[in-house]
Amino acid sequence: MLSRDWDEEFSHLFGRPDEPALDERAPSRLKARLYSALVRKQQETGPLMSLEQTQRAGHGLCVFEKLVQIAPVSEAAQSPFFCTACHARILAENFENAPIFWSCCPYVGFQKG
Amino acid sequence: MGLFCDYVMKIALLKGMRHSVQPPVEVDSTLADDLKLVAEVLSKDRKATAEFVSRYADCVYSYVRRRVMPRPEAVEDLVQETFLAAWQNLPKFRGEAGLRPWLLGIARHKVEDYYRRRLREAEWPPLDDESVAQPSVVPRCEERLDWAQRQKKVERTLAALPETYALALLWRYTENLSTREMAQNAGKTEKAIERLLARAREHFRRRWNHAEP
Repeated sequence: MLSRDWDEEFSHLFGRPDEPALDERAPSRLKARLYSALVRKQQETGPLMSLEQTQRAGHGLCVFEKLVQIAPVSEAAQSPFFCTACHARILAENFENAPIFWSCCPYVGFQKG
Repeated sequence: MGLFCDYVMKIALLKGMRHSVQPPVEVDSTLADDLKLVAEVLSKDRKATAEFVSRYADCVYSYVRRRVMPRPEAVEDLVQETFLAAWQNLPKFRGEAGLRPWLLGIARHKVEDYYRRRLREAEWPPLDDESVAQPSVVPRCEERLDWAQRQKKVERTLAALPETYALALLWRYTENLSTREMAQNAGKTEKAIERLLARAREHFRRRWNHAEP
């Protein structure tokens, strides 16, 4: 019932050149939502790495995380996902090119590329 | 005695070889990066998790989008499902290949599940009419369009079709599934799939030929 010609024609029409050459950029708000969802999932099975350990691993902290880090609290209290309460997350999850500019903020990083 | 000498010589040879073995070839740097990143993500380092998303969201998005166009909400849901499944399975990542092919493998399964689910659940148009006009071949002049232009036109045309038709065409021609495989996956007869495809091609052709390039 299917014509080989049509099959070839449609295969040609729907065909793709090599995948790697055609990477499109995912919307930054999708990246922001992916990140938030992943970190929430990570929290379900126990605390996140503390900010102290994160910094020791060579990563920068954003200004809010630095404030938490210098606060007189235990290392365990530095584990929650603080971005949940941050306006940068909300803006980044809902807008492309959100007006957020904090240094070392993952959500700002997603806006850049 | 001869056998014993032979045995001793073999041992000596093996020992010699062991000493002369070259250091293992350096692991491909991308793979080493991937393994390091996986270890950091598994230790719930939030910044490494952000790096994981930054590094691989584009390729997964791109892969899914080309297969589920033109439904952006479905694309985003499938990308998210892919990453969450990746997190669940990350402890099993052994690094035989890089993270990219590993993630795209998960994405492929998610896309297949999506096609299967949607074609099972979707309202099928009545397919009892056998006299579907067979489409003339899509004009070859379309080859003059470059790939990007053509892709946009394919997306627009698919967006204007009923979902069942669009899914059937994508599954058949993007994933290269045979009608038999589609029938098995969608829980339909092969005949029903062939009729659906004939209808889908006809609708597609009509819209394609009347659309702007």
